[in-house]
Amino acid sequence: MLEVALIYGFINSVILALTALGFSLTFGISGVSNFAYGAMYIFAGYASWLLLNKLAIPFFLAASIAVFLTALLGAAMYRFVLLRVRGLVISEVIATFGVGLIILELFRYLGFSGFEYTLPVFSDGSLLIGNTYVDYQRIWIVGVGLFLAVGLYLFIHHTKLGLAFRGIAQDEHTALSLGINSDRIAGISVAFGSGLAAVAAILILPRGTISVNDGYDVLINAMAVCIIGGLGSSVGVVLASFLIGYAQITTDILSGPHWKMIISLIAILLILVVKPSGLLGKQKELEERI
Amino acid sequence: MKKLFLMTNLIIGLFAILLLSPSYAADPILIGVPTAETALEGRESIKAIEMAVEEINAKGGVKVGADKRLLKVTVSDLRDASAGVPVSEALLGLEKIITEKKVHAILVGPFRSESLLAGMDIIAKYKVPLLETIAMSPKFEEKIKEDPVKYKHCFRVCLNAPFLVNYLVESLGVLKQEFGFNKLYVMSQDVLWAKATSEGTAKVAAAKMGYETVGSETYPTGASDFSAGLMKAKMKEANVILPMFDMPQSGILLKQWKSQRIPTLLCGFISPMAGPGAWKIFEGKIGGLLNANFELGSAIAVEKYPPATKFYNDYAKKFGVPMEAGHGPAPSYDSVYILAEAIERAGSLDPDKIADEIKKTDRQGVIGRIKFNDGHQVIYGADPKETAAGCVSQWTEDGKRVIVFPKSIADGNIALPEWITPAKK
Repeated sequence: MLEVALIYGFINSVILALTALGFSLTFGISGVSNFAYGAMYIFAGYASWLLLNKLAIPFFLAASIAVFLTALLGAAMYRFVLLRVRGLVISEVIATFGVGLIILELFRYLGFSGFEYTLPVFSDGSLLIGNTYVDYQRIWIVGVGLFLAVGLYLFIHHTKLGLAFRGIAQDEHTALSLGINSDRIAGISVAFGSGLAAVAAILILPRGTISVNDGYDVLINAMAVCIIGGLGSSVGVVLASFLIGYAQITTDILSGPHWKMIISLIAILLILVVKPSGLLGKQKELEERI
Repeated sequence: MKKLFLMTNLIIGLFAILLLSPSYAADPILIGVPTAETALEGRESIKAIEMAVEEINAKGGVKVGADKRLLKVTVSDLRDASAGVPVSEALLGLEKIITEKKVHAILVGPFRSESLLAGMDIIAKYKVPLLETIAMSPKFEEKIKEDPVKYKHCFRVCLNAPFLVNYLVESLGVLKQEFGFNKLYVMSQDVLWAKATSEGTAKVAAAKMGYETVGSETYPTGASDFSAGLMKAKMKEANVILPMFDMPQSGILLKQWKSQRIPTLLCGFISPMAGPGAWKIFEGKIGGLLNANFELGSAIAVEKYPPATKFYNDYAKKFGVPMEAGHGPAPSYDSVYILAEAIERAGSLDPDKIADEIKKTDRQGVIGRIKFNDGHQVIYGADPKETAAGCVSQWTEDGKRVIVFPKSIADGNIALPEWITPAKK
């Protein structure tokens, strides 16, 4: 059982990290709210499904188009909704959460519910690790997840665009004085984050069915990982993913799946009480409050 | 003068024809269909109702005394299959369709047993005949037996949990006899009917067949990761996993079972696996599963019982796609005929008289021979010529379904997937 917990805990952690990367990039690193993140994830899933099943486009092409469309949707949301309330954090949260609700509940209203909404796996079969079988899709998730986590770290620390993402969150006025168009950068950040949500969806959804309710769960998990890891810290995101990921799997094995579902929420509460800026968070002013 | 006489005769003649012929101008009999439209079982049950209504209307409708009246359907979405929807909301929808639409009878009914049990009091309050075809809790019959006068308008046509338990226990008996299996691992959805059925099956299988339950797991509606539970079943060396789920996400259990190569046979009910489309949707990774279809005709053709096969084929012909819900459509279709015949025998739309006549039903339908017991539940058994029936079929590795239980309609025997070995040689 220990072997199972270690292997599946690791996979679950990478899934959480992959789920949270886009949210972390937009909200954590650039300081722009995107609480429609879960809806973007589900949008990408349904878009791929429609392209694959209704237009008979090959899966990988359909998935690529879905990622592009989701990024476009993120950019459109920024241009037509977020831009008008930019800088008013509460308004940003409410507006984007509202957009997310509209997208998710529209899918529900249109009848996108049922077991037929499932995406194909990248490759079939399983790998035997010790005495535990792991399907290839999970191996893909681990591979791509780790690649993206490292890639994101390098991107935000070593590219001009990545530094601009961080710059507008640290001090927007200084960033502006250095020639960074903060509105444009924020828009790109939302589009990038949405695109990452889509990549996560394409990888993770073949393990199950596409369900509107997953959109809410994805948002909660992504928020939990970012808050616990610390806003603005990509290493913190990975660390928090592993903490929550292993906690979830251990709870599932020892107590059952019901308790697993509240781990993220308990973790958010605990970290807010003990260390509000998160494990590796940069917002030290939060620390000073307690 | 002659012209006036001719015209008068013509008008009198027309009136005479209208008065003497069966009246089609009378108001239609309004059937309320409140259920969960988001659930496959709900959607396909509605279609089955429409199918039966069209057939009856094509023959002129239902005779109520001297009049022939057409049937009309009004649908309302109770949403009670969705996670997080409170029972109170479903009850509100149920009451609304009765009070606002003024329906003469209710078919299909609430999706969740939780809603049905609470909804029975609404049915009793407004005295509208109900023929339930989805929710399965045995508490429905208990309530009727406790107060048969109050709940005289409540009936259930679909399979209930105790009858399903019988089918599953008998199938487990075959598995023990043929392969020596005796260790059970229960995985069920955290809803009333699923828990009652799985717990009941484990209990009866222990008492009658000597099965030991080595572990159990309940999953909240919407859960989609079963890997830890599957691993636990493997670690505890279970021979059979008893799954009990009616949520779309449960189909993924099969994919995970196959990709993790869990050496334990699955025998129970996973709703997405009940129809022919499961093979393609789940990429052929469902071979070996033993799955129940709750009623004959519900997403399964039965070679040895032609009415079920006819219904299954007619449905596909009418709607252009095969039926996928293994629970609901066939009894829903039959319930329209049960209601129509009861109205004709009662000769009126008086709910008390209709309820009295429904109770006397004895007809050969799609699901088998339909008769109600004293809990107003259609009796299910092993031979569709004697009682209504469900069945257990096995998905083969080439994407077919072979009925393995009950023996009266079986097409073949249970075969183990290649990675599962018998417990006895």
